[in-house]
Amino acid sequence: MKLNIQDSSKTAVDTLSSSYSGKWEGVEGIEQTSAFIQLMASNDLIFVVLGVSLIIWFVLLFYLIRVDRNVSKLEESLKEESSDET
Amino acid sequence: MKVWKILVAVWMTIVITAGFLIQIPEIAILEQSARNLFLHVPMWFTMMIAFSMAFYFSVRYLNDEHLKWDRKAETATSVGLLFGICGLLTGSLWARFTWGTWWTFAEPRMNLAALAMLIFVAYFILRSAFNDREKSAKISAIYNIFGVTTIPFLLYIIPRQLPSLHPGAEGNPAFSEITAPELRYIFYPAVIGFIGLSFWIMNVVNRYKVLKERTTLSGS
Repeated sequence: MKLNIQDSSKTAVDTLSSSYSGKWEGVEGIEQTSAFIQLMASNDLIFVVLGVSLIIWFVLLFYLIRVDRNVSKLEESLKEESSDET
Repeated sequence: MKVWKILVAVWMTIVITAGFLIQIPEIAILEQSARNLFLHVPMWFTMMIAFSMAFYFSVRYLNDEHLKWDRKAETATSVGLLFGICGLLTGSLWARFTWGTWWTFAEPRMNLAALAMLIFVAYFILRSAFNDREKSAKISAIYNIFGVTTIPFLLYIIPRQLPSLHPGAEGNPAFSEITAPELRYIFYPAVIGFIGLSFWIMNVVNRYKVLKERTTLSGS
């Protein structure tokens, strides 16, 4: 018998949806939740991806700003130091 | 914090958000992954700008042998390489779900882009091979001028002559006629935003190097 590799790997990998899909609580009772949660759950969950991307962007941005500030402080302190020497 | 940095931060935040929220036309195979245009393509644009700057700084270094130019050239090259690696990784992921493979050696643009990255990895290996600062700077500048010159051939000229799945092959336009106008409203601002971000990173790295040079000189 010829095995369809794609099908078999799919069934092998995707154990979640058959075993647990009935128990996922995140998708249940959406109508009773707040407007924010309802918005996030709409449009095939694309807003969740937007949220994740923005979190990564803001964390990286925060880090870049912090390094920038630290370099500025170091520049200031070294400037004072060199002006003391001369 | 300079004003332009705050502008870059706000600009990029708007671009990322709008990139997810706008309605895009339905494109077969690509579907929603067409939004990758706002992320994957600006990586290469930014890399090209960074390498062009490195080329300019290398020429300036050979002109007056001021170490300032060598420092700037090294920073621009490293930031260009950073964005190029992001372009390779995002391209590979995108290829998996549109071409069906993470990597294929039948795809000239993909492989030549990887080759181009290797040329710039070699730049950093070459730099570290010399203890003499001036000698390292001079040879790196010459190498970099050669290296940047290969980029248009590797990324733009050769891939267009060969059959490829990537847009811009076999004499096709990469972008001009096949891209929907809705995508362009986000794409061009994204290119500007990422270039601004690369300038910010270069600025911080350069200032760090100035401080490092000053402290090691006064310390020794």
